[in-house]
Amino acid sequence: MTVLVQLSGITKTLRGQEEPREILSGVDLTVQRGESVAVVGRSGSGKSTLLSLVGMFDRADSGRYLWRDQDVTRLSERRAAKLRSAEFGFVFQRFFLLKHLTAAQNVAMALVNGQGWLPRRKRRQKVIAAMEKVGVAHLAKQRPPRLSGGEQQRVAIARALVREPKMLLADEPTGALDTETGNMVIDVLHAATVDEGCGLILVTHDWDHASRMGRVMRLSDGILKPDFDGRARP
Amino acid sequence: MIRFSGRLRSSLIVGLQGIRARKLRTLLSMLSLFLGVLAVVVVQAGAETAQRAAVDNIELIEGKDGTLRLFMPSEPRIVPMALETAKLRPDAVVSTTTQAVIGEPGVVPVNPGGSPFDQNWGGDWGGGPGFRVQCDESGCRKVEEGPQMPRGQAIELMLTALSADIRQFKPFRPEAGQWLDFTSPPSLAPRIVLNREAAKGFSKHRVPAEMRIDGAKANMTPQIIGVIDDGQGQPTAYVRFDELQNWMDASAIAQRSGIEMMLSPQASDLITIMRSKLVGIGLPEDSLNAQPVRSMQQVESQLALIRWLFLGMASLVLLIGVAGILNVGLATVGERIEEFALRRAVGTPRMLLAGIVLAETMLTGLLTAGAAIGVAAVALDQAGRFVPDSFPRTLQALEFPWQAAVAGIIAGLVAGLLGGLIPAVRAARIPIATVMRA
Repeated sequence: MTVLVQLSGITKTLRGQEEPREILSGVDLTVQRGESVAVVGRSGSGKSTLLSLVGMFDRADSGRYLWRDQDVTRLSERRAAKLRSAEFGFVFQRFFLLKHLTAAQNVAMALVNGQGWLPRRKRRQKVIAAMEKVGVAHLAKQRPPRLSGGEQQRVAIARALVREPKMLLADEPTGALDTETGNMVIDVLHAATVDEGCGLILVTHDWDHASRMGRVMRLSDGILKPDFDGRARP
Repeated sequence: MIRFSGRLRSSLIVGLQGIRARKLRTLLSMLSLFLGVLAVVVVQAGAETAQRAAVDNIELIEGKDGTLRLFMPSEPRIVPMALETAKLRPDAVVSTTTQAVIGEPGVVPVNPGGSPFDQNWGGDWGGGPGFRVQCDESGCRKVEEGPQMPRGQAIELMLTALSADIRQFKPFRPEAGQWLDFTSPPSLAPRIVLNREAAKGFSKHRVPAEMRIDGAKANMTPQIIGVIDDGQGQPTAYVRFDELQNWMDASAIAQRSGIEMMLSPQASDLITIMRSKLVGIGLPEDSLNAQPVRSMQQVESQLALIRWLFLGMASLVLLIGVAGILNVGLATVGERIEEFALRRAVGTPRMLLAGIVLAETMLTGLLTAGAAIGVAAVALDQAGRFVPDSFPRTLQALEFPWQAAVAGIIAGLVAGLLGGLIPAVRAARIPIATVMRA
């Protein structure tokens, strides 16, 4: 199996107005193609920070980050943006759909980002294909305020999938949804991982959702370790 | 190139989406900018129109920009020489001007001295009837004319004899009838074309068709065949050189005034030829004075200061519009922090985020420029309908100058650029972590 993410000895200290706080202390994590990993932990334990580092939103203070065997620990902002655009898909707790755009335009946003150019027809084909994968193609012309929470999150997932990423990063994607809709969203994410063969890192508080991932990791006191209490899925 | 094209297109698409999503704000930005862009457009349109009017007038009187004017002294031998030189050259015209009186013989004309009809130059030069001005090498002086002549029905005018069609150099505007035909055989009854002022005199006063010119063998019967606007305020008539030569010999023609030759810039070789010929008949080399017409340069230098002064004031008004765009831009970026963070998260480079904001403000500037140009063009069209007939024709047939449109577009784009610069920098600096912490 292809190793997508390989973090070793990653540390990160948050420096805000308060005392500096080491939020990640020597984190090691490997995610392979087609593998889904849930990261659980208390609020403020550094789950989102970990996701930021994997998604190259931020840089680690020390340690090493290999993306598909390429060292990206100190990647420039420009190259990081290019890599993010081509190989990563992001799903956030709040869906971050732009209200003035239709669902299809929101999905297309990931294609109209200055990283190459697709003609309108090809763009539309890709958008519809991504929306069909998550079952919201019929809502293409609707604007977000007219969609339910579950539909909005599925549109956001379609936006993450439209560039056919190698890695999906989901930061509490069910946090703003009821249990039933949340389960549906996790199904969609899991299906995308299995069908597309991409990696998935899911940050969640929900044990049920975490347990549906291939592996569950717990982040506590800056240390990431396998959670043996979780019911890991084979 | 592909990357640039992709970024440019992306910023334009997202910029247009932003404008459509915030129509009211765009409208407010446009309102604040409108007056500034309009001021630039109006100043530029005014300056261009004034320049065009001034150039048109200069062209009528002096000739088109670049035309070469050769002035030669009053010397009888020069006339046939100049006519011979210019004969086979379509880009050269020889002319000379003399004084003529059309109407009753033995009377003082209604406009003594060939003055415009609503002015009195007093052909008697204040000395009362019976005196005239005589000029020679030592200067001009008042001399007694002999017995006092009565005022009568005669019109005095300047008569310009032409060897060929001078309109290639001086674009006279036809008013009525026709222009001189240089291809037909010369007529014994000289065909003349009047300018507007002369035509005014002939419509006011009924005068017999008898033309007197000092030095002519006999009085002529002119045929008035047309009227043109030559930009001159003095009554003037134009006649074919050869038709005048039927009644006057070269020495008489050259006696009253010098000879002028107008040449196109490509015919500058004639200067050398004429100079050699003048030297050949014993005249000094500098007796030929060649001057190019620099109408555009002359007008531009006259109008430049005024234009820049008004453009400076218009720029101040434009700055107020820039402040408006800046204000709205900063407020909009503040509201769109999450959107920009999200765009960065999906791989949009910082430069493109700045480009999106600049595209929005520059498109707003462009839309404003379009509106201002439209308003100015319509206003100018309407204003042209109220210009009195007495004004130059350029001002009566006002056309919106393209330079004003270009100035408006540039002003709109520059205002959009200046107003959008700081918001663009702010947008580019929004951290992606904003979406993670939300």
